[in-house]
Amino acid sequence: MSDEIIEHPDRPQRGQVLFAALFLICATLLLAAIGDQTKWLKGKDFFAQPRFWPGIGVGGMVLFTALHFWHLPRKQRRLPRWMREADWFQWAESLFWAFLAAGLALWLGPIAAAPMVFLVAVIRVTWLYQHWTDRREAKVWASVFEWAGWFLAYVLLVPIIGYLPVTMVFAPILTWRVGYRSRLMLWTSVVFAVVVVLIFKSFLQVKIPGAALYEYLPGALRSFFILNF
Amino acid sequence: MDLIYDFLTQVQASSSYLARWDVVLALLVGSVGGVLIGAIPGVGPAVAIAILLPATFSMDPIVGLTVLLGIYGSSMYGGSIPAILINTPGTAVNALTTYDGFPMTTRGEARRALSLAYSSSFFGGIFSVVCLILFAPILAKIAPMFGSREIFLAALLGIILVVTAHRKHTLIAAAMACFGIWLNTIGLHPASYSKRYTFDQSWLSGGVNLIVVVLGLFALSQAFTLLHGDDEKVRLTKLKGSFFQGFRELARHPRIAGISATFGVVMGMIPGVGEFTAQFMSYTYAQKSSKRPEDFGHGSSEGLIAAETANNAVPGAAMVPLLALGIPGEALTAMMLSVFYVHNVIPGPQLFQNDMDFVVALYLALLILNVLVVAFLLVATNQLIKVVKIPNRFLGVCILILSFVGVYSLRNSLTDCIVAAAFGIFGFIMKRMQLPVVPIVLGMVLGGIMEVKLRSAMARVKTPLDFIDRPIAAILFGMIVLVLLLHFRRVWLDYKERKTDEWQTSHASTSFPAILSRRRNYILTERGKKLRAKRKTFSRRLTDND
Repeated sequence: MSDEIIEHPDRPQRGQVLFAALFLICATLLLAAIGDQTKWLKGKDFFAQPRFWPGIGVGGMVLFTALHFWHLPRKQRRLPRWMREADWFQWAESLFWAFLAAGLALWLGPIAAAPMVFLVAVIRVTWLYQHWTDRREAKVWASVFEWAGWFLAYVLLVPIIGYLPVTMVFAPILTWRVGYRSRLMLWTSVVFAVVVVLIFKSFLQVKIPGAALYEYLPGALRSFFILNF
Repeated sequence: MDLIYDFLTQVQASSSYLARWDVVLALLVGSVGGVLIGAIPGVGPAVAIAILLPATFSMDPIVGLTVLLGIYGSSMYGGSIPAILINTPGTAVNALTTYDGFPMTTRGEARRALSLAYSSSFFGGIFSVVCLILFAPILAKIAPMFGSREIFLAALLGIILVVTAHRKHTLIAAAMACFGIWLNTIGLHPASYSKRYTFDQSWLSGGVNLIVVVLGLFALSQAFTLLHGDDEKVRLTKLKGSFFQGFRELARHPRIAGISATFGVVMGMIPGVGEFTAQFMSYTYAQKSSKRPEDFGHGSSEGLIAAETANNAVPGAAMVPLLALGIPGEALTAMMLSVFYVHNVIPGPQLFQNDMDFVVALYLALLILNVLVVAFLLVATNQLIKVVKIPNRFLGVCILILSFVGVYSLRNSLTDCIVAAAFGIFGFIMKRMQLPVVPIVLGMVLGGIMEVKLRSAMARVKTPLDFIDRPIAAILFGMIVLVLLLHFRRVWLDYKERKTDEWQTSHASTSFPAILSRRRNYILTERGKKLRAKRKTFSRRLTDND
């Protein structure tokens, strides 16, 4: 199901330039590495070459993202007053980028430097067109790392302590963290955790290994816990 | 008569697949679970299928696919409930239901709207399944005509349609499809055993797993979005009485129901098109042919019938390219494809030729599922609407916990979880900016198919024209050219429309202050500087030397 086919005439503009620039930079670096990361085999058909499809992939990423970047509605950033008024600064800024590009071309050779020069151009355009809303959006993106951290902590603890105990503790703690303080919600989260473990591990027998801590349980209880929880 | 006899024979042969307790249980779980998942705004079938996918690997293909198909087919029934009652679509495809469903609720006709949505969805679902069972023998004859080059061209057509369907986001959709194609190439090249984009990392040698990416992009990103967002206050309308009246009302609009269902079946069969196009086409048709077009968007029963019939006719039809050619047309069928691969059942022409009973059994399962769902909804709607009240952030906690089962049970790998978390963050960013993620998944799946099929097809091709010298290949190539031409025509028309709008809004009176302002700036800056410098020579200050 294509979730996004609905048109969004009021698609948020915040972060668009930053996202397109970051994606384009990554794609360009990947394209620059294609010679190193894929092989061109002699005597093999063009379409059967190991480099053909990665080339289509990263080539398309660079081409279409660059076009998308170009078509984005953008407004030049309002630089600080001293920057706007100082002619020398604008000269120095342009010269800096030009020297950087020329230096790269001399150092790496014109072909190897081409993606780098392109990168330099992308970074310069991004620097000129990024807005304070982009920076605020970047902070929102960074804030998600906290939830990813919770998820990875949960993943790390399950093989050590056990699926049932960790889930029973993790669910109410995370529920508390997202702002629910009522006993009803906390107990609901515990019940949910138990139900999930019972359905997936005990009933459906999905492949989740028994915890290291279960090894210390006595006799039959040990195998029962490893098998079911 | 022969057709009906063949049909009955086929049904009889396929019933052995369905007459098992585990299939019956799968039907019940799929139907009830799908309705529940659809009724909760913020979950959706993609999240549920992504989470359940690894759990279905240990089941029989028919059981696993019935559960997933059940969720896919019944989630749209459930999705209409919040769309009608609280103006929030339960699944993305119920967005059009809000146009006419919610206005009906505001004027006190919530029960009528829900009943109409159920009956229309039921008609759409049954219509598509009956059509496909009847056409299955014809499909079985056409499917073997698809060789490597035809499958390659069909996959290419699918990817182009997916990209062009994202109107106004075509460029970024194309970039994402290419990203998917590139992701699929990571790891060992199967034909030459050379490494591609592994950066000498052992964990990349095996490639990037599709299910890990899907779980990250759909499930984890949704969990992050919900955890990051706020809860919404929901006020529900009390519903009294039965829900049977919709069937009587639907019977008064056979033309709209029939044509909308046909749109759903046809659009569902074309890879990459899906529910949205079918819905918009049937809605536009219903509005144009209605005696009261002004009611559309303000609680028109015809609008509701068109939207709900079309979207429910799609799931059955979407299985056609998957089963007949092995080409998924959308993210959900792409996920289902992995169930086939795990069990070494390769969907494609051979499946249609050799295991037709299995295919018909799947369609019969979908048929029974529609009956089960309607029966469940007619009885349990009043209890079901309470799930709408589950707070969003708590839902985020639940999805995060369930996502763990999906990712970790796959290979018990911490690396998989890290990769899924990374794609979760990427999906979250894409969702915040309303950029498409579906092309990534389809790029991964269709890219893999295109790579294999192009390699084998090119072995017998001497000149470029040899590639399209067979009738189906030529038709597919013609369709690709036509789709691209239509797309560029639309881009050109949009451009012209935008320019006309700009021209119409920038008339002389609005630019007059701008002219004055430029003139003033010029006088104060360039000309002013010159004038002041000139006057300075005449009015030089006296110095001691003078």
